[in-house]
Amino acid sequence: MTARFTRGTGTSLVGGSERRSSRSLLALFLPVAAVGAALALVPLWLSDSRLMMGLAIGGLLFACYAIAFNVVFGSTGQLFLSTGALAGIGAYGAALLGDRLGFPIVVSVVLATLAASLIGGLLSWIAVRRSLDVIFIGIVTLIFALSFENLLLGLGDLTGGESGFSLESGSDTFLREQIPPYYLFLGLVLLFLIVHGLLRRSHIGWAFRALRDDKVAAELTGVNVARYRIYGGLIGSGMLGMAGAIYAFNEGRISPSTFSFGEVDVVVLVMLAFGGIGTLLGPVLGAVVFTVFDEVLVEFGQLRVVAYGALIIVLFLWIPRGVIPTMGSLWQSRRLRRESAGSSPTDPPH
Amino acid sequence: MTAVILDGIVLGLQFGVLAVGLTLVYGLGGVLNLAYGQMAVVAAIAAALGMDAGLPAGAAVGVGLLVGGVFGLLLDTTLLRPVYRLRGEARVLLSLLLTLGLAFVVDGLLTWQLPLEALTLHIGGGAVEILGVPMRRGSLWASGISVAVFVSLFFFFRGTMLGRAVRSIIQDEEGARLVGIDPNRMRTLILVSSGVLAGLVAVTRSMTIPVTVTSGISITIFALIVTVVGGLGSVAGAFLAGLLLGIINSVSSFYIGTFLTLIILLSAAALTILIRPSGLLGTPE
Repeated sequence: MTARFTRGTGTSLVGGSERRSSRSLLALFLPVAAVGAALALVPLWLSDSRLMMGLAIGGLLFACYAIAFNVVFGSTGQLFLSTGALAGIGAYGAALLGDRLGFPIVVSVVLATLAASLIGGLLSWIAVRRSLDVIFIGIVTLIFALSFENLLLGLGDLTGGESGFSLESGSDTFLREQIPPYYLFLGLVLLFLIVHGLLRRSHIGWAFRALRDDKVAAELTGVNVARYRIYGGLIGSGMLGMAGAIYAFNEGRISPSTFSFGEVDVVVLVMLAFGGIGTLLGPVLGAVVFTVFDEVLVEFGQLRVVAYGALIIVLFLWIPRGVIPTMGSLWQSRRLRRESAGSSPTDPPH
Repeated sequence: MTAVILDGIVLGLQFGVLAVGLTLVYGLGGVLNLAYGQMAVVAAIAAALGMDAGLPAGAAVGVGLLVGGVFGLLLDTTLLRPVYRLRGEARVLLSLLLTLGLAFVVDGLLTWQLPLEALTLHIGGGAVEILGVPMRRGSLWASGISVAVFVSLFFFFRGTMLGRAVRSIIQDEEGARLVGIDPNRMRTLILVSSGVLAGLVAVTRSMTIPVTVTSGISITIFALIVTVVGGLGSVAGAFLAGLLLGIINSVSSFYIGTFLTLIILLSAAALTILIRPSGLLGTPE
């Protein structure tokens, strides 16, 4: 049980487990299309209930967050504890641009995405320049997230403080309806998956993997560690900003607690740890599972917090590869055993 | 102005003790304990429950410190065992994630079971005048205890064999092992002391403001800021950074406002990491 942890010297918790399947484009798009098709059916049986559709959209939003966090942490090993804050930058940025300055919605979303991307990239750049290890990146981004939260509360005139910000713009568009926003977010999830998938297949993906497995060896073979880490920060943070910005126009109301560390980062960490850090579809599966799980837990009040805390402990202690990949390889090894046992009629009891 | 600075010193001394508990565990075990604030809160709640049950204040505080120590012992012997088997970055990362989980578990359980429990210690008597400024007796007690803790820690680390053994592990775990020091026992000792220190800070804090079940996260954040500024693993650094940030905190909340004050403190920590990652008094790697 302990051998798992001692593999490698770096951040051995991160990835290193997914098997590389065929490199054809089909192998990439088929699973993504399957996930898209399955999720596209959800409104068919939930569309009667405004509440349930809201939950489903929230689930897709968190799938976006988890994919973005996966790009940054899973692919480049940078522990960004500012998932919520970067999404918040997108949301508040878009809200201020769209509502206070009167920009069109699309322009606001694009600008807010760029802002979040640049800030995330800047965090990565700083981390690379100061050659911060994973812990210090965690501390710096956590400090950034806490500062952002306090800034939102402190600049009450601009942000509405604790009670939040109500958006006028977007209220007369399809963004406030029930079904269309669901498909918009589903499109976003698929877009992010494809971007991440293409990234993994490109030379950037090879560099990411080399980085994750052994940073020093990657550097020695000529991988520009700094550049690829900054790419990871830029792309992941841009995804967060875009998801947050669209959510702001969809929900029509944002508040600091929507993007707080406890509400976003902890949940995303659990989703990713469950689905498998560094895998392509793990974040989406984790998001689906925990959206359902969260709804079940709501009636237990404070025990929900306890459950998430306990899950972090259990997942990272005993199933560091993620539940889905672990189950997958268990199933595979059983199948292999059965095949190697041939047609022997009686399986040996264990 | 004098009053504000004196207030800052009182707070700063508590900050310092708070950070020592965190920084020692990091220096010794390579463990970043994000459940540190919850240790303090659990100790404070134990003391508060003791007082509810009719114990005299002194005994209740004793119960609180004991519970803090037991919390540290349990943490060391259960959750952190698998962490110690790792080395370097992986160890800190796993410890950070596991204690983050623990922090949420403890927070959730406390707000579920005892949402209204809080520790407030009323130290009798009025104000005492110092430098022409009236100081509450609670603040004086809190500062006196903090200074006493620092003096005894100083003697422990410089003057006793055990203290030197602890320092040797901070400097070089393998080397210490070679001369016959058992890192596991030292870690247990430090984790227990860390719990007691956390409890002590919660108690001294409750002499000026109540410590509630939800204070854990903010205590951890303050401890983390001071620890980073002082240098991870440095006791003297924690003391100095505590005083400095305590004074900054008081001056800035008086003249600027609370939200921006926290941002200033957070920026101080961020700047330290960027300019001098080893902190004020830490030894560069």
